[in-house]
Amino acid sequence: MLLAYKTALASPRIRAAAIEATEFPQLADEMEVWAVPRIVVDGVPQWDGSVPERVFLERILAAAFE
Amino acid sequence: MTIFRPDEEARVRELLAALERPVELLVAHGPEQTPLPGARDIDFGAETERIVRELSELSERLSVRVEQEPPGFERYPAVAVLPAGEDVGIRYYGLPWGYELGSLIGGVLEAGKLESTLQPESLERLAALDRDLAIDVFVTPT
Repeated sequence: MLLAYKTALASPRIRAAAIEATEFPQLADEMEVWAVPRIVVDGVPQWDGSVPERVFLERILAAAFE
Repeated sequence: MTIFRPDEEARVRELLAALERPVELLVAHGPEQTPLPGARDIDFGAETERIVRELSELSERLSVRVEQEPPGFERYPAVAVLPAGEDVGIRYYGLPWGYELGSLIGGVLEAGKLESTLQPESLERLAALDRDLAIDVFVTPT
């Protein structure tokens, strides 16, 4: 979660939200949240689990240019 | 009931002492979704506000604002973390309790820093980003 917040602080292009899955079950269902943390970029589920900073950056930027 | 044990409170106070600039927490109230069975006794919005207010009492650099359905929020309750009062797009949707209170505090500590703690390579890659990006991280309190 912290990496997402850090990228939002570092880039005016990025916004980052934590969403408590049990409190928003409908949205969590739509995003097929079975494990946490689940990372979703622009409404598209990407991956589950914590990853190192370099991998996080690679993956969100790859998602941005898909 | 307080949210921190005395030893936890001392630790959080110590962490918040590192804030290099003021951080504002904006609590957004609005229509809430139907809670899960068994959770209906909890007033998520009121609890969120209580936790955020208690947290803010641990540092002079932390302040709280509470608004009803302010612009820029997709669901409620929510907390926005505003470094020096500026909205940079950091949100926590839901009640920040348990393990996730740590995420909110982590966000506050980052927002309180004048310089990013990301690696220089990461900052370079972010600087090249030429479109807007929305990252949502689904979390649970346990």
